[in-house]
Amino acid sequence: MDEKEKIIDGYRAMVLSRTLDKKIVMSQRQGRVGFYTPTMGQEATQVGLSMNLEDQDLIFEYYRDVPLMLHRGVKPETIIDQIIGNSDDKEKGRQMPSHYTAKDHNFMSVQSPVATNLPPAVGAAYSIKYQKKDGIVIATFGDGSTSTPDFHAALNLAAVFDLPVVFLCENNKWAISYPVEKQTRSEIWKKAEGYGMRGVLVDGNDLLEMYKVAKEEIDKVRVDGKPVLIEAVSYRMGPHSTSDDPSKYRTDDVKEGSDKDPIVIAERKLKMLNYIDDQAIEKIKVEAKERIDRIFDEREKIAAPKPETMFEDIFENSNWIIDEERGEIL
Amino acid sequence: MSSKTMNIVQSINSTLDYMMTRDTSIILLGEDIGIDGGVFRVTEGLQKKYGKERVIDMPLVELGIVGMAIGMSLTGLRAVPEIQFQDFIYTAFDQIVNQAAKMRYRSGGEYNVPMVLRTPYGGGIRGGLYHSQSGEAYFAHTAGLTVVTPSNPYDAKGLLIKSLRLNDPVIFLEPKKLYRSQKQEVPEEEYEIPIGKASLVHEGNDFTFITYGSMVPTVMNTVSKNNLDADVIDLRTLVPYDGETILNSVKKTGRVIIVHEAPRTLGMGSEISAFIAERAIDYLLGPILRVTGPDTPFPYRLEEHYLPNEMRILKAVHKMQQYR
Repeated sequence: MDEKEKIIDGYRAMVLSRTLDKKIVMSQRQGRVGFYTPTMGQEATQVGLSMNLEDQDLIFEYYRDVPLMLHRGVKPETIIDQIIGNSDDKEKGRQMPSHYTAKDHNFMSVQSPVATNLPPAVGAAYSIKYQKKDGIVIATFGDGSTSTPDFHAALNLAAVFDLPVVFLCENNKWAISYPVEKQTRSEIWKKAEGYGMRGVLVDGNDLLEMYKVAKEEIDKVRVDGKPVLIEAVSYRMGPHSTSDDPSKYRTDDVKEGSDKDPIVIAERKLKMLNYIDDQAIEKIKVEAKERIDRIFDEREKIAAPKPETMFEDIFENSNWIIDEERGEIL
Repeated sequence: MSSKTMNIVQSINSTLDYMMTRDTSIILLGEDIGIDGGVFRVTEGLQKKYGKERVIDMPLVELGIVGMAIGMSLTGLRAVPEIQFQDFIYTAFDQIVNQAAKMRYRSGGEYNVPMVLRTPYGGGIRGGLYHSQSGEAYFAHTAGLTVVTPSNPYDAKGLLIKSLRLNDPVIFLEPKKLYRSQKQEVPEEEYEIPIGKASLVHEGNDFTFITYGSMVPTVMNTVSKNNLDADVIDLRTLVPYDGETILNSVKKTGRVIIVHEAPRTLGMGSEISAFIAERAIDYLLGPILRVTGPDTPFPYRLEEHYLPNEMRILKAVHKMQQYR
């Protein structure tokens, strides 16, 4: 894929993600989905990073990383199956929506407690280095996560052991109702220096900028094997989740289609480069909508997981206590 | 069959050595475990033999030790983190409960965490509040964790080998009071002790003592010194505990005394006594009694009053003897 194709492909993933995002939010409002954490506004950050990844790289993602997953080749079906919790869901309907697993694309399994994915990401990087394997580790999190002990532990350990980890802070300015200005007195990217690692600030709303900066940083990590903290600044255009009403705590909403919308910014830049025109944009959007609508209706028809699956996968081999409880309940 | 006389420290040390030679995916990490050999010397000599990359001296961060161990265990290694004292484990609790224990379940079986977390627990070494805790109930209460506690050098080897071959997280609680207090013949060849299988370490007809870990010698001494006609069950595995062995004994004796060092409220004794009450109440000749640590923090100068001892066990025996 040449550069132009690669960038158009990135834009296409952003649109696909936005389309899916809106479909799920609407379905939640219609009572077809229980819950969702919209990802709208963070598409450029994630896709710009993903454009620099290789197949063997491991990703310890968080619950707002749908654009990253879609760009890397995870099918919308996988996302929708998880959101609905049907019997095709890899997680067998166990996790609430937005907590994905996609081992076939080297995505780990998402947990709710933020930043607890970071120390394991460092351990995985140690594994790669120790086993002399190829690849790097990507660990993603939001601005709120930077206050946790796990963030501190992970950055310190990655630096101390010289491990190939890209810490991507997706600074969308909000941790539910709590603004980033109150989360920390320092700039997030500058914290890297305190840990003895590189830190960089990038406009996470701009696909091309994000792609370029992430490329420089990831190339360095692949060469020197040392970690980096990338702070990509974007904006959480939606609520934290479908259970949240942002009008209670903020008035500065960025509306879809405004000039701060990463998709609008990408379109403007791609048009300037003559990579796409209005007709091509329209085609990409229509195709995405048709695809998502079709898949969503299809996946919704899949049955719920069987009750007995509740008692599977606690251990590799079950034990008498679990077996007895299954007998009592089912 | 060749064997060596060993204490628990030597048994665990030589078992780690044995397994590391045969399973190159095993990797050790913890505070002071390398050059210093661990504060209890359980990992003595292993860094010298296997290198600094495989026996890793870690910065002072329990959540990072366990977190990294989880990441290693997700990606082809079998990590054996050591938490220096079980009392220090709590900052890593989130990693243990929300990452390690739930990984297989939440990923629908796509991922698993074959990690054996070793940590010394319990009192009896004049460690005060923060070097004496018995926190097994915290782990036993979490779905997805296997909880193991050996009480002697022989079992330590067989349980550790088995734990290192499971593909799920194990909390391996080592009774530090017993680390060097007893020696035993330990076969040089390998053997496994199954998870979930208790050991009937003494047989009799009048009482069933159910205990584990650091309290096993205390109960055994009491039984032999006082010629008690009693079954003594060393659980060895707390999750899943061996319900069958417990029931067989209870049905025989009808008198149950559960002994553990951990505080009474919602300790293992609570679960075991409920289990017995649910399934064997018709066989009981008297109440199920518990001899445990009190619901106080662990005191430094007064630890001999905290720890269950012969006198307290006999008190329970005398109370039980009123029921015929």
